[in-house]
Amino acid sequence: MSANQNEAARYVYCIVEGRERASLGNIGVDALEVYTIASGDISAVVHDCPAKPYASDDPEVVKQWVLAHQKVVDAAWERFGTVLPLAFDTMIKGEGDRGPDENVVKWLESERAELRSKFERVRGKAEYGVQVLWDPKVVAEEIVRRNQEIRKIDEEIRTKPKGAAYMYKQKLEKALKLALEREADESFKDFYKRISTVVDEARVEKTKKVENSKQMVMNLSCLACKEKAAALGKVLDEINAREGIFVRFTGPWPPYSFVAAG
Amino acid sequence: MEPTRAVHATLADLLDRLLNKGLVVQADLIICMAGVPLIAVNLRAAIAGMETMLEYGLMRDWDAAIRAWECARRGRDGSAIADRPVPAVTCP
Repeated sequence: MSANQNEAARYVYCIVEGRERASLGNIGVDALEVYTIASGDISAVVHDCPAKPYASDDPEVVKQWVLAHQKVVDAAWERFGTVLPLAFDTMIKGEGDRGPDENVVKWLESERAELRSKFERVRGKAEYGVQVLWDPKVVAEEIVRRNQEIRKIDEEIRTKPKGAAYMYKQKLEKALKLALEREADESFKDFYKRISTVVDEARVEKTKKVENSKQMVMNLSCLACKEKAAALGKVLDEINAREGIFVRFTGPWPPYSFVAAG
Repeated sequence: MEPTRAVHATLADLLDRLLNKGLVVQADLIICMAGVPLIAVNLRAAIAGMETMLEYGLMRDWDAAIRAWECARRGRDGSAIADRPVPAVTCP
């Protein structure tokens, strides 16, 4: 049955613990009223919308929607203590003679056990992003200093005439490439170990492209309570102090990375 | 080190979570309208200049980085290894 665009739907922000209908005020996307729909002791935080995804050509508009969405999740987090956040643009609509509210309740009921266990997993904790970047030029310098074999090739280049020097440069580049790869690998393992032992959970994410002079060698989402987040901050200070290494520490976020299946 | 959520510095991190993560509503039980508006993907690229790279832990494209290092070292572009800049993912 295809979507009737005028049919009412419920835009779902997050799931919280609560039995009664609560209103969070007109803080929703487009200043709509945000309220809860309960099924037993679990509630969905929603606003009413047409059954049509939010989409726009204007990046500024989408940016405002996204920020409004996060504001609602933050407000629910503040009010209810623990939230299970949903992805942007998730809507539940009616089906046949079942209205959208009924479907929300039905979905909460069917997911009850899963949702309960997710609440326990994230209770009292927040998500933090940890990214380690490095400047490969600086690290390469350090490798040349430390690594005798590579230093020797580097020194050879100075003494050779142009043609032979070129071949040695190739050799150097190749050796450096391998050394950098190995260094990235070992650094990753070292950082991961130190970080994962102080937080509740650490999840490896794909690295991202960053500004030209730097590269990302590790991207983690961490779940941690306040005390562990402070301990994490200390570990990150140590890592950040290393030559050529830069740490990005973001959060606290609602636990987006720790509520999906599995 | 304290974590930050300042919008100007972390919009890309927020977008990544909002668009790629979070609880998923099963399609078979409930008919739901999901789907990331395509513009949001472009938005992320536009705002952060980021794109997903190869698998974690291994960055295979060292060539350009090493050439740049070589260049700086041999003094061809005259620049010294820079002082440590403020770390940030660029969000224009």
